[in-house]
Amino acid sequence: MTRGLLVALAIGVLAILVAPFLGFALATPWGTLRPVAGDLAALRVSVVYTLAALAIIVVGGTPLAYWMARYEFRGKILCEALILLPLLTPPLAMGILLTMFYGPNGWVGHEARTFGVELTNTPAAFVLAQVYAAAPYFIIAARSAFEGVDPELEQISLTLGQAPWATFWRVTLPLARLGVGVGLAIAWVRALGEFGIVLIIAYFPQGIPVKLWVNLQDIGLDAVYALLWLFFLVALPLPLILGIASRRHLAKIETA
Amino acid sequence: MTHVAYRLQRPLALDVALEITGFTVLLGLSGAGKTTLLKALAGLIPGVGTPYGGLPPQQRPVGYMPQGYALFPHLAVWRNVAFALSGSRSTRYARAIDLLGRVGLGDLAGRDPRTLSGGQMQRVALARALARKPELLLLDEPTNALDSTTRDRVLTELRALVNQLGVPALVATHDPHLAAIGDRVAVLAHGAIVQQDAPAAVFDHPATSHVARLVGFQNLWRADRVEPDGGGVVVAIGDVKLRLTPPSPLTAPAGLAIRARDVVLWPDRPPAAAGNLVTAKITELRREGLATRVVLNGPLALEASIDSRSDLGNLSIGERVIVRLSPERLRLFRWDSDTSV
Repeated sequence: MTRGLLVALAIGVLAILVAPFLGFALATPWGTLRPVAGDLAALRVSVVYTLAALAIIVVGGTPLAYWMARYEFRGKILCEALILLPLLTPPLAMGILLTMFYGPNGWVGHEARTFGVELTNTPAAFVLAQVYAAAPYFIIAARSAFEGVDPELEQISLTLGQAPWATFWRVTLPLARLGVGVGLAIAWVRALGEFGIVLIIAYFPQGIPVKLWVNLQDIGLDAVYALLWLFFLVALPLPLILGIASRRHLAKIETA
Repeated sequence: MTHVAYRLQRPLALDVALEITGFTVLLGLSGAGKTTLLKALAGLIPGVGTPYGGLPPQQRPVGYMPQGYALFPHLAVWRNVAFALSGSRSTRYARAIDLLGRVGLGDLAGRDPRTLSGGQMQRVALARALARKPELLLLDEPTNALDSTTRDRVLTELRALVNQLGVPALVATHDPHLAAIGDRVAVLAHGAIVQQDAPAAVFDHPATSHVARLVGFQNLWRADRVEPDGGGVVVAIGDVKLRLTPPSPLTAPAGLAIRARDVVLWPDRPPAAAGNLVTAKITELRREGLATRVVLNGPLALEASIDSRSDLGNLSIGERVIVRLSPERLRLFRWDSDTSV
């Protein structure tokens, strides 16, 4: 293949990928762009609960990812498949599964109710849905980032008097930070944009994706421009910055 | 002197007892378990024994320097050295600069460790290991990552540095050159220390055929019989009988060896009184710098190393020569069943 043909093809594909965004930017009625009622509340719901879901994913997913990266054990392949399961299940089906499990008649939902916790159509349910949607992405990315850290460096840290916990903070995490950051960014976008699971188990409180759907159904296309721009504004900076950083190996060392 | 006694099962079975004093070299073939023993002493591999048995690695007062040095790539040189230190940034920095000064690298504090030469990396790793004031240094193959031209210089410096620091070091290597410059050598084979002594003693009087191979005896035979004979012993290898002194309590199976440079060639007639003579045919001549390696075939397969500038410089392949194996230079030792001849 000649270089000219390759460049033409590449530009063509890029153009096709970007065209809808360009079209959207051109179609936006910039002069009259206003959020409709409830849009800002949806934005708040999305940002606050996605941050909460992300915190849960990081706290729970990091040890799991590290364990998978560092230890060999029987059934590891099964473990890998189990982590992929929520990701491979269609979102709508996942929502149904969660409702059956956490809903008022489900095993956990029934028990939770006796403690006064509702796990459908509540903030807790919203966060739960996001965790299922995004956790596998974070775990897979973090695991491969941890695998990229030479275990010998961790061993050296131990022999230099650092406990395993300190070693994780001072050696493993700094060296895996780009990969873990990319995992975090993907999880952020996945959680923020999750529609299928949320629709089933947490129609309320309404975050941006469900509100977009409601606006489209109730009012029409004119009502989605503002919210969509808000979504892009909130969702994209983190993954774009981290994506570019990891590509450029912005692994500047600590010299100061 | 530090006495070490360690036993472990995984990843390979070791039952080791050795003394460490000054610069002690742990000599063994690759796969003998040198790295495993060092890691067990550092607490990175489970093992039972003294010293430090049962302590987690972060509580053992050892400085471990692995092969390739494992400098932290995300930290500048001085932060690598200061890694084990606590306190304010200025005290840690001052201490790191002091340690770097001691290894002669005071001006590289701010550098990215990945930009250093092999010898510089080694000294940074050493400074880092010293920061905790260890009782014992564990250095794994310190010359492996160096090119041959800098190796000898770095080695001599390392040796001098370790002595000057006054911290005993156990230095694992497969390299007899490194073993030769130590204060002491311990040879690891078959999961145990098979010989430990001053380098001169180990190099001149190997305790087993395995050690003889390791310290560079090129001519090694399995003795069929060993019989006392006056002030020495007579060793039979096939039809050849060789006398050696002094007497030895060893019996067959024993090994007999002589260094190639101790093999004496006589193109004409040897003095009448000389014993231990063998006639052999030259099958190969290899120039090795100022020496010539002479491969001989006869009742014994032999290699000799001679000065190319001597009268023997014009030997030719196919020529028959008389070989003398001096009774004082032959060595008798225990035979390891897995030694190939």
